Amino acid sequence: MHERLSFFVKRDSALHHLNPLTKIVLALSIILVSIFSPWYWTSHGLLLVVIVPLVFIGKVANEYFTSALRLILPAAGFIFFMQAFFQPIGQTVIFNFWFLDITQESLLFAFRIATRITVMISAFTLFLLTTHPSELMSDLTRRGLPPQFAYVIISTLQILPQMQAKAQTIIAAQRSRGLDTESTFFKRIGSVVPLVSPLVFGSLVEVEERAIAIEARGFTSKKAKTSLYEISDRSSDKFIRWGLVILVIISIVLKLWLS
Amino acid sequence: MAFINLNNVTYKYPLTKTPALQNINLQVNEGEFVAIVGPNGAGKSTLCYTLAGFVPHFFKGEISGTVEVAGMDSSKSTLDEWVLNVGLAFQNPFNQISGAKYTVFEEIAFGLENTGVPRNEMKPRVEEAMKLTDISNLADRSPYSLSGGQQQRVALTSILVMRPKLLVLDEPTSQMDPIGTREVFGVIRKMAEGGMTVVMVEHKMEWIANFADRVVALKDGQVLMEGKPNEVLTSELLAENGFGVSRYTSTTREAKKQGLWKKENLPVTLDEAVEGFKK
Ligand SMILES: Nc1ncnc2c1ncn2[C@@H]1O[C@H](COP(=O)(O)OP(=O)(O)OP(=O)(O)O)[C@@H](O)[C@H]1O
Ligand SMILES: [Mg+2]
Repeated sequence: MHERLSFFVKRDSALHHLNPLTKIVLALSIILVSIFSPWYWTSHGLLLVVIVPLVFIGKVANEYFTSALRLILPAAGFIFFMQAFFQPIGQTVIFNFWFLDITQESLLFAFRIATRITVMISAFTLFLLTTHPSELMSDLTRRGLPPQFAYVIISTLQILPQMQAKAQTIIAAQRSRGLDTESTFFKRIGSVVPLVSPLVFGSLVEVEERAIAIEARGFTSKKAKTSLYEISDRSSDKFIRWGLVILVIISIVLKLWLS
Repeated sequence: MAFINLNNVTYKYPLTKTPALQNINLQVNEGEFVAIVGPNGAGKSTLCYTLAGFVPHFFKGEISGTVEVAGMDSSKSTLDEWVLNVGLAFQNPFNQISGAKYTVFEEIAFGLENTGVPRNEMKPRVEEAMKLTDISNLADRSPYSLSGGQQQRVALTSILVMRPKLLVLDEPTSQMDPIGTREVFGVIRKMAEGGMTVVMVEHKMEWIANFADRVVALKDGQVLMEGKPNEVLTSELLAENGFGVSRYTSTTREAKKQGLWKKENLPVTLDEAVEGFKK
């Protein structure tokens, strides 16, 4: 089945070697600066001067542009059309479609919003592509995030696709016993019922077994946990993080000051 | 004193009327390999949970009698201490995957991380354990992408790597092919020879006869019989009580009635059967 359950791609790059927290801060800073910056060209600039070079530095260009085509462009395109059609601003009508006027202003506005969305999703994608989930969790746990909390997040991310696959198996099994899952809407709602109990009760037993299994491996042991990976947190990481925080503060101050 | 010492243990799950274990007495020495057999609902898994400390520390319910393992007394020690001495692997491998790790290597290291093993010891220990169970080639795979038998090996390795004094295995080979089963039995035998005590629930009679030191037959929460593998697995008592029997045993039992089997003891394995018919 799914061989790759996370976005992470293993590469040897400067970005991969950054501390996970630094990469979270980087992604958040890009997003915040693009929201707060008072100048409309900031988002375009971030995309061309920051994100694209980072994609190449992180050696994840292939994966990034694939997800850009499949995920980011459609999302940004959708936002663009919604804004272009339904943003009631400006006088310079470029063309007219039924009762909707497309103005130059609304078009420009839509373009900016779409770019901003692209920047946000890209920053997050870049973070996911270059950060090992286990390393992220170990690092956050080390910084004081409760391990139970980390476990819930990461196991949910992994187990959801498994639940989905199991639902498919149960549907197939019920269908082979004559269950109707393909006709009218109401019949289909009714036919979800037999799916629920094996999935939920099955899951409860599984939860118990899984609890035993991780307990048997010392999950709630009172000993101080160690980590398989050495997670580097160099002074350059701290420097980058503080630099980014300062940049965000500057853009917020500028926004307040100029508006 | 024996390494495992169960004295008159009776246990009821919460909200149930009949005890899942009744007056169990069991002594096992260090380094012994004991197999548990019994029909469905006999209490085999419950016995495993008891030896691993999950009864009564996880399941609650009522327990009486004494449970002592590796010098610990279950009424006095916590599950936390228990887990450091006793490893438990059970039947369904899918539910034993922690869900917190992305590769088999990380999955196996999970128990070491939790119990605070230093990083420089961790890697060699994981590698050694994977070599032992012959899964080194799976190190970088996602645990979820493996077959049932492979997942069972990962589950076993994840416990072995923690170097428990007692290894409790509840049908650890149920999804393995004959080759996998033989390898796993070989590994477990080797661990027992190295001084690890092993208690294993298993239905594959021929394998038990080949590898275990002693067999305990459970039924309705009670010990029906215990003794040397061949003695227990070929006894009339087991056959009468609906236990699974090796096909070589049932065949030669018929043969004996017809006077074709001359020896006193019935065989459990193919080799024993062939040997017996030759004479
Ligand atoms: N969590 C539980 N709560 C209540 N009763 C339980 C629980 N688990 C098992 N039992 C009951 O305890 C008895 C012994 O069950 P156990 O699972 O130990 O049997 P088993 O020998 O392992 O059977 P199998 O061969 O099916 O694995 C059964 O009657 C069962 O219904
Ligand atoms: Mg069982």
